Amino acid sequence: MRNQRSVKQEFLRKWITGLRRYSCDEKKNMSFLERKKAIKLSADIAMASTRDKTTRWSQALIANASSSGDTLTGSSKNNSSRSRKKMLMMRRRRPKVKSAKKEMSASCIAKRLVEKRTRKLKNLLPGGESIDEGCLVEETLDYIESLRAQIEVMRYLVTASQLIINPYP
Amino acid sequence: MGDRENFEVDRDRDRVNYSTSMASDWRFGVGNFANSMVDSYVTNFWDHPNSQNLGFCDINGGSSNMNVIGKDGFGYGRGSHDHRTLEMGWNHASSVLKGDNNAFLPNGPAMLPQSLSQFPSDSGFIERAARLSCFGAGNSVDMVNSFGIPQSMNLYARIGGTMQGTGDALLGHGLRSAALGGQSHKSDPNVVEDAKDDKEMTLQDDKRSENLAVSHDEGKQALGGSANESDRAESSGRDDSPMLECTSGEPSNKGLSSKKRKRIGLDADKDKVDGSPEQPGAAVKENSGSRQQKGEQQPTPSTKGSGKNAKQGSQASDSPKEEYIHVRARRGQATNSHSLAERVRREKISERMKFLQDLVPGCSKVTGKAVMLDEIINYVQSLQRQVEFLSMKLATVNPRMDFNIEGLLAKEVSLLILQQRAGTSSAHGFPPELSMAFPPLHPSRPGLIHSTLPSMANSSDILRRTLQPNLAHLSGGFKDPNQLPEVWDDELHNVVQMTFPTSAPPSCQDLDGSAPSGQTKTEP
Repeated sequence: MRNQRSVKQEFLRKWITGLRRYSCDEKKNMSFLERKKAIKLSADIAMASTRDKTTRWSQALIANASSSGDTLTGSSKNNSSRSRKKMLMMRRRRPKVKSAKKEMSASCIAKRLVEKRTRKLKNLLPGGESIDEGCLVEETLDYIESLRAQIEVMRYLVTASQLIINPYP
Repeated sequence: MGDRENFEVDRDRDRVNYSTSMASDWRFGVGNFANSMVDSYVTNFWDHPNSQNLGFCDINGGSSNMNVIGKDGFGYGRGSHDHRTLEMGWNHASSVLKGDNNAFLPNGPAMLPQSLSQFPSDSGFIERAARLSCFGAGNSVDMVNSFGIPQSMNLYARIGGTMQGTGDALLGHGLRSAALGGQSHKSDPNVVEDAKDDKEMTLQDDKRSENLAVSHDEGKQALGGSANESDRAESSGRDDSPMLECTSGEPSNKGLSSKKRKRIGLDADKDKVDGSPEQPGAAVKENSGSRQQKGEQQPTPSTKGSGKNAKQGSQASDSPKEEYIHVRARRGQATNSHSLAERVRREKISERMKFLQDLVPGCSKVTGKAVMLDEIINYVQSLQRQVEFLSMKLATVNPRMDFNIEGLLAKEVSLLILQQRAGTSSAHGFPPELSMAFPPLHPSRPGLIHSTLPSMANSSDILRRTLQPNLAHLSGGFKDPNQLPEVWDDELHNVVQMTFPTSAPPSCQDLDGSAPSGQTKTEP
């Protein structure tokens, strides 16, 4: 849907910015796990920022990152509170409906299955717990696309780094 | 409207008197009452159009119905139902009721309680009457709506047929709601089609539809939990029998139900026809409003009323289709009071699911929400795990977190990667534009990398050396030689310019030219 190439470029750009902040600021040697976390976090934030906070998951991602005190998010903290309020409002708008009678009809069973899975999907999505079901599918679509772009860029970087170190596979 | 109110008042009274055990009976009685009214007291009915109006507001319109009804006792002349069985039950019921019905009419509201007292005596009769009331509901609906809603008759006929074993729960509206609820997920094309044909005529009358909606809604409310609450709410949308009007007796319900009717129509239109642009908007608006109001699946008069108005309002534009769609919506979503909102939502969701099907590999042959959601969940999980894994790998490869972006993005590197991937597999996850292209690198362009970082020096030399022998090997098999440099030129430009704004001219710019200068620079 979106221009994949431009998305990837933008993502890469932002990611590198974030990474450089790590490499410039932290002169100490980070442990492996720390590094991995830093890389992943900067990648996630870069990916989320490519959406310019137009989607719920990107807002939630950045909000979570900023709430954990990450230095990369910076000014996005202002938006996080707003987005959180919006999410809470969404949650209140559609309270869970409990049917008085639980009939074990096929349709009920099917409905329950779907509900279970939607809940699972919501948990997977960043900021997806308080999401409207109608938007859930849209957000998932967007999220999947961004994840794919992110993975491709990351994979490229990995391969490139490996090649640089060991050009003869 | 006054008639309806009277009727509602009657209903209230009846309900009060026969609230507990008689509730179902009352409903049943109401249905039968309506039927018997039609059959036995045509004259009375006509004489007192404003008194015991069980929702048969527009008598004039219903005159033709009356005649038809008089013919075969049910007015099902239009419908193809089991007239015989109906008639039998009907006759029985009417005979029982006749005695009291005569008294009822002149007494007005008091009539109902009297008739009701007779019903519980015969359980078999009750069952039959229940079935009849099912039809009767359709009848009364027909009667109310001048055309007699033959469709609803069909609907009810079928519902009655299937509901034979349900007993009290199926009385009156309970019948209808239960049937609809039970069958909410089965679309009966025959019924729908019949309904469609007949409905075209019904929607002409605002009042009738209002009555129907109101009565249906109220009847459903009275039912309590006999059927799915949502079913009731849903089915109350259009095919309400006037019998159910008296459940709540709120005059406001009428207005609300009319609105709901309208919305249902709109929504139904939207679903099927993709019709007038204002309709979906209005439907969605109203739906969201109704959703907010309801919050629960309790059928609320407001939504029903609004749906009614909407439907009536849009009648002029899209009557035939609207009818059809309305019926479909009703039956398919009989369990949901947010019928319109649900339909809109569901359409949206299914549309997006289609997109997801294309996006998620292996989902094209999967049908059904649950399985598809399963696939999507698995896919998202795998993608997230991939991100984790790749970041871990990157952390391993770069022990010092110093990412040599320039070096990483160098054209040689990308070429090398391409070569690797071309050699290993035909289908790789690499950007398709890259995989398709291979630039004819000239030997004069020995992989120059303007890298100020010492770590790059050796690697770039090595790359250069390795690339050259490979160029000839690779140049044969690529279709679009210009794409790769295009793609990565942009990227390199962007990235490098961004990250090294003050540094020497980006390496990519020099790739085409100054080989010797690059070489001199990189070589420490």
